[in-house]
Amino acid sequence: MSDKYDMVDKTIDDVYCRLVDNVSDKVEVLLFSKTGRMGLQRNSNLNKTLLIFSVFVCETISSQVPRPRGVSLSRASLYPPDKDFTCFDGSATMPFSKVNDDYCDCYDASDEPGTAACPHGIFYCTNAGYKPMNIPSNRVNDGICDCCDGTDEYASGAECVNNCAELGKSAREAAQLRAELVKAGRQVRAEMSQKGVNAKNEKQNKHQELQKNKEDAEKLKEEKEYLKNEAEKLENAALEYYRKLEEEAKKKKVEEEAAKNRAEAEETFKKLDSNQDGLVSIEELQTRTSFDKDHNGEVSPEEAKWFLNDQEQVDLDAFINSCWTSVKPYLLMDSGMYTPPSPDDTTGSEAQDMQEGQHEGESEGNEDEEEETEDDEDTEEHEAPEPVHEEYSVTYDEETQKLVDQANTARTAFQDAEAQVRDIESELQRIQEYLEKDFGPEEEFAPLQGQCFEYHDHEYIYKLCPFDRTCQQPKSSSSETRLGTWGHWSGPESNKYHAQTYDKGQICWNGPARTTIVNIDCGSENKIISVSEPNRCEYVFEFVTPAACHDQLDGDDIRDDLHDEL
Amino acid sequence: MAFLRVIPILYVASCSLAVVKENFKTCEQSSFCRRLRGFKAEVSPYQLDLTDLLVTDNALETKLINTETNSHFKVSLSAVHGDIFRIQVDEVMGLYPRYNPQYALNGEPQPAKLRVVDKSKEHITVQYSDNKATLHAKPFKVEFVKDDNLVAVLNSRGLFHFEHYRTRPTESENEVEHQKIEDPGAWEENFKSHHDSKPKGPSGIAVDITFPGAMRAYGLPEHADKLPLRTTNGGEPYRLYNLDVFEYEVDSPMAIYGAVPVLYAHSPKHTVGFFWHNAAETWIDITNSKDENVMSSLVNLVSGSKESSVSAHFISESGIMDMFVLMGPKPRDAVKQYASLTGVAPLPQYFTLAYHQCRWNYNDQDDVTSVVANFDIHDMPVDIMWLDIEYTDGKKYFTWDPVKFPNPDEMVNNLTSTGRKLVVIIDPHIKREAGYFLHEDAVANDYYVKNKDGTVYEGWCWPGSSSYLDFYDPKVVDYYKGLYAFDKFKGTTDDVYIWNDMNEPSVFNGPEITMPKDCIHHGNWEHRDIHNEYALSHTIGTFKGLVERSPTRRPFILTRGHFAGSQRYTAMWTGDNAADWSHLAISYAMCASEALGGISFCGADIGGFFGNPDMELLQRWYQAAVWLPFMRAHAHIDTRRREPYLFSEDVKNRVRIALRLRYAHLPLWYTLFYEHETTGEPVIRPLFYEFPEEAEVLDIDNEILVGNAVLARMIAEPGVSTISVYLPGGPTEQWYDIEDFKMYQGGTHNIPVSLDKIVAFYRGGNIIARKDRPRRSSSLMHNDPFTLYVALDNKQTASGTLFVDDHASFEYRAKKYLYLHLEYADNTLTSNLIDKTDYPTKEWVERVVIFKPPPGVKAATLTSKTLGTVDLEVAYTREHKALVIRKPGVNIREPFSIKLY
Repeated sequence: MSDKYDMVDKTIDDVYCRLVDNVSDKVEVLLFSKTGRMGLQRNSNLNKTLLIFSVFVCETISSQVPRPRGVSLSRASLYPPDKDFTCFDGSATMPFSKVNDDYCDCYDASDEPGTAACPHGIFYCTNAGYKPMNIPSNRVNDGICDCCDGTDEYASGAECVNNCAELGKSAREAAQLRAELVKAGRQVRAEMSQKGVNAKNEKQNKHQELQKNKEDAEKLKEEKEYLKNEAEKLENAALEYYRKLEEEAKKKKVEEEAAKNRAEAEETFKKLDSNQDGLVSIEELQTRTSFDKDHNGEVSPEEAKWFLNDQEQVDLDAFINSCWTSVKPYLLMDSGMYTPPSPDDTTGSEAQDMQEGQHEGESEGNEDEEEETEDDEDTEEHEAPEPVHEEYSVTYDEETQKLVDQANTARTAFQDAEAQVRDIESELQRIQEYLEKDFGPEEEFAPLQGQCFEYHDHEYIYKLCPFDRTCQQPKSSSSETRLGTWGHWSGPESNKYHAQTYDKGQICWNGPARTTIVNIDCGSENKIISVSEPNRCEYVFEFVTPAACHDQLDGDDIRDDLHDEL
Repeated sequence: MAFLRVIPILYVASCSLAVVKENFKTCEQSSFCRRLRGFKAEVSPYQLDLTDLLVTDNALETKLINTETNSHFKVSLSAVHGDIFRIQVDEVMGLYPRYNPQYALNGEPQPAKLRVVDKSKEHITVQYSDNKATLHAKPFKVEFVKDDNLVAVLNSRGLFHFEHYRTRPTESENEVEHQKIEDPGAWEENFKSHHDSKPKGPSGIAVDITFPGAMRAYGLPEHADKLPLRTTNGGEPYRLYNLDVFEYEVDSPMAIYGAVPVLYAHSPKHTVGFFWHNAAETWIDITNSKDENVMSSLVNLVSGSKESSVSAHFISESGIMDMFVLMGPKPRDAVKQYASLTGVAPLPQYFTLAYHQCRWNYNDQDDVTSVVANFDIHDMPVDIMWLDIEYTDGKKYFTWDPVKFPNPDEMVNNLTSTGRKLVVIIDPHIKREAGYFLHEDAVANDYYVKNKDGTVYEGWCWPGSSSYLDFYDPKVVDYYKGLYAFDKFKGTTDDVYIWNDMNEPSVFNGPEITMPKDCIHHGNWEHRDIHNEYALSHTIGTFKGLVERSPTRRPFILTRGHFAGSQRYTAMWTGDNAADWSHLAISYAMCASEALGGISFCGADIGGFFGNPDMELLQRWYQAAVWLPFMRAHAHIDTRRREPYLFSEDVKNRVRIALRLRYAHLPLWYTLFYEHETTGEPVIRPLFYEFPEEAEVLDIDNEILVGNAVLARMIAEPGVSTISVYLPGGPTEQWYDIEDFKMYQGGTHNIPVSLDKIVAFYRGGNIIARKDRPRRSSSLMHNDPFTLYVALDNKQTASGTLFVDDHASFEYRAKKYLYLHLEYADNTLTSNLIDKTDYPTKEWVERVVIFKPPPGVKAATLTSKTLGTVDLEVAYTREHKALVIRKPGVNIREPFSIKLY
């Protein structure tokens, strides 16, 4: 255990100042000047993106700071070699020789920063040329090179190659690439942001404009309504005469119909009353196959009785009043003139009653001579009474006709005004929804709305339509499975715009509704770069877009890591 | 009565996941079980003809006659080395040969000398050591006496029955009256939509055996049931028939994946084992006199007293009747006797005892890499990553999905770079796909199991239409083992091991989800004859493949289907359990039962395979699994991801502590496995095994002993703040809580428990060698130092062992190992090598912790050959519960002593 202190590489990197140790186990340090902190400058003379490292200064400070293995320079002063060592938690004091002697004396592991003796110690690797690292001390001398400078494997026999320089170089290159990417991206982002802001302004202006239009349209609507009402008053008055004529005609028609119906009923009664005793009985009905409701080939007493309104027999009046409505459809059906409303409808008379009721209700104010059994679904809604029923194609006198025409014109004008208000309202609604969406602090994500991006893996095509939905489609078919519907931004607290959640997708068999997390990173173009399903029915899209290339991402933090402490 | 009230609540609680019982037969639905369970005779019709007797040094052979059918059988009774009697019954001139399992026994049992001590026309008595067996002629009955105590009686209840093979009567001819078998299923039977043609007709065998004085019976794995066997009268018998039971339920005698037909009848006085060496479908009725007033009369018949007894009725569908009576007298003896017949597990590689991380499925090779990386980031150890069926190219075993696993070599290298390993699944069903080399080879060379008409059998399994390799054909095994060669199974290396699943075999569209019984194996055996042995035959092929592939590495195979003898080749796990407290609770009982059945290398999937465990259940499961030999987390494809690093800091901490505790005890597990191989003693033990005289431990199965030094009590009760633990041994026994070193005497203790608490004790009198330095994986701990935990008994002494070698190769069989005997007495700890062996190691002694140490110790000196005499620092822990000796620093290869002053 002679090498209690770091044996640190003596070479000095072109860019970085390095730790240098001397023979007496003391560490000489070339401290990196705080004032010479590396930064990025853009050479504005060149149009192309060029990042260069600014000049920095190394001050050479000779210090005699002894540093136990695994301790960072900033904590070196906590280990004065000329004094007894006290655990940081104060739990024990011991001769300094017990520091890093491969036996854990402190509960807080502070006596063994450079060995694996304590279960939860921390080992610091300087990794000169690259990022320094704190690793769990249980990785010390386990045969695996964890630190790029190899300092964690000083007694395991593992042959670690110091590759910090390479790592540092590639990290810096990566950082530079990243910085370039971010820079290029920021320009696009600015454009996107501008588009977004413009779009928002447009929408806002449009919104205001529409608000105003809406007021105008509403006024117009009121006006047209007034005119329509006035015209209809005149029209109504003029049509009163014709309406009376119409009612009379209708009444007459109804009476005729009733008489015809009664005659028909009487005739049927006579026909059914086989024994001419003035009563129709169950037995008599049983001989008529028309009454075989269940089509089983015979008319059961129950079936017959149903037609007789649960009586054993009925006389003519009773037949007309309470049986005819049940009997008639079956006779008609038998003669092919009637199709029942639904095949399983056994309460024919009730259904018919209901139909009549509906019909009357809906055609109120109309003279209606249609067959009661006619389908009435196509009856239109009328806000105003139609002046004339087609079947009563009455010819009005010239003056009346004029009033009717004027009223028609007024009605059309009102309907048009009304439609315009509705149109404006729905347009407003759409704009409102757009304006309520969060397209980023500078509207930079707004241009993504309305676009869709695809990602093809070997089996599926994945689609992201930002602010709308995510979905998946097998390459072998066209059926699309929705993986999520736009929900909300869901990045970490530091930047919620780093992720989006699309939830309430299609329900998984035997499982939950599908959801998608879209992680968003800076990229030179809008693109899905990978899709995975880490949990069943929980998808993760990695999406890059220039919209995510913002100022905090210019790579400073990465380069800071690279030369921490130096 | 209180217990009856509890049942409906449990039932409701476990309703969410439930087995479809209708898919599996009851005894009543199985013709031979129905027939033989119903076989009753006032007096057994079976009689010996002792005039026809052949006696040799090791055996006697005589004739048995069914006096009702006049069918003849030969009976042999032989002595097997190690206090075992073997009785075999077979037909004389039978119509067809009968099957005797080929793979269960570890070679032919070693005969022992037997002498006739008494003989008449009515009986003959033979003696072997202090064991006697008496054959009674009329009716047939065999009594077994140990040290002058009657311990077992075969056919005491007259249930012995042997359906000799016969020709099927044509419809016109009446069957010979006295040979008639009335059961409608005797000659063919149907279950659900499946037809069993039974070309050989009825062939059932049955016998009862009664154990006078016994208080409990144990064994007969595999069942998801409590450790002590329950009385089955009026209910379903225990069933042994390897089946893939979807969502199996606990507290049930239903058959599941494995079958080990060995039973132990136990009382504080003596323990006897009974091994029913048969691979066909088997049902066992158990009657314990404590549950049955009726039994007392039967017992009186046998023993003439009113003492307790246990009786078992074994019923099998076919095969020779081959039985071993393991004469005990203690559980340890009987279990070792069983091990002497069926063999032991060879020492596994060290890493196999560490933590395994599995899931159906890790999506792709990046997923595998990232899971391990996350374990490292969160500083939790893991040794082995597992790949379930989705790694294959379309469920074609020995292939890789080219999209998800395009570079298995790269993935494996990534794992091994931090000492990790990979296990991949290989099932016995083969996809019937043109162009799949394995299928084409199998068709071309006739490797598949056949239908009864000689055509290749096709069933449905993961790949869809599949056929099944017939491992009964030596040429198939030769071919199959070659598939594991690195040039055949591309992407595998010495660090890739094998998981054999679905080998009951599971057939999705077969009767009871398995293969039809009238299928034909090599040697013209029906599947009916060999069914329970099929998985074993499969894993033997794999074992041979791995040995040939990696001759310097001990194989590791995990199997689901298993049989007596499987321990020689594989570890097993309790199959597709569920994320339910009841499944955690049953895991110790299931593995303890397997351990008694010779299979110590057992575990239950942490977290439960089906369903999503809540955080409390998951943590408790990790804590409990520290103390089972095989420690693996696994999960169904429909469940949420549950790698332990995904959870809150609290949960992560608790799991990390549990995993580190496991890794700290790996030297103990490893030593116990070494000792298992050399002695046959199980690695984990139910309490009655170590404390046979203690009536209080008879029914305890939520506690388990790891070796004889550690007692673990699982917490399978949600939301508890106090648990009750029974510590055996009485007031003179000293137990030490492994976390706070608190000492408890034998007896029942209520212990407060938080979610952090892992309830485990070291037994006074033991020295446990641990490696307390955590690492990412076990292979990175090889050179780390030991801490010796000395748990003193009330005589202030303790002893222990420690086995050390290269953790991987067969070199230990060439004396390249260290086997330490550690002893503490007279305030001195000494270490000596037990065998004259050597293994150069860097491992050294970092610390000694003495529980309940002598007072007033001021210093210690270490003496060894190379270090001479060195002074060591000592310090008492708080409240003087323990004394810590600081850094002895001696290499464990070197004998040493440490004396306290």
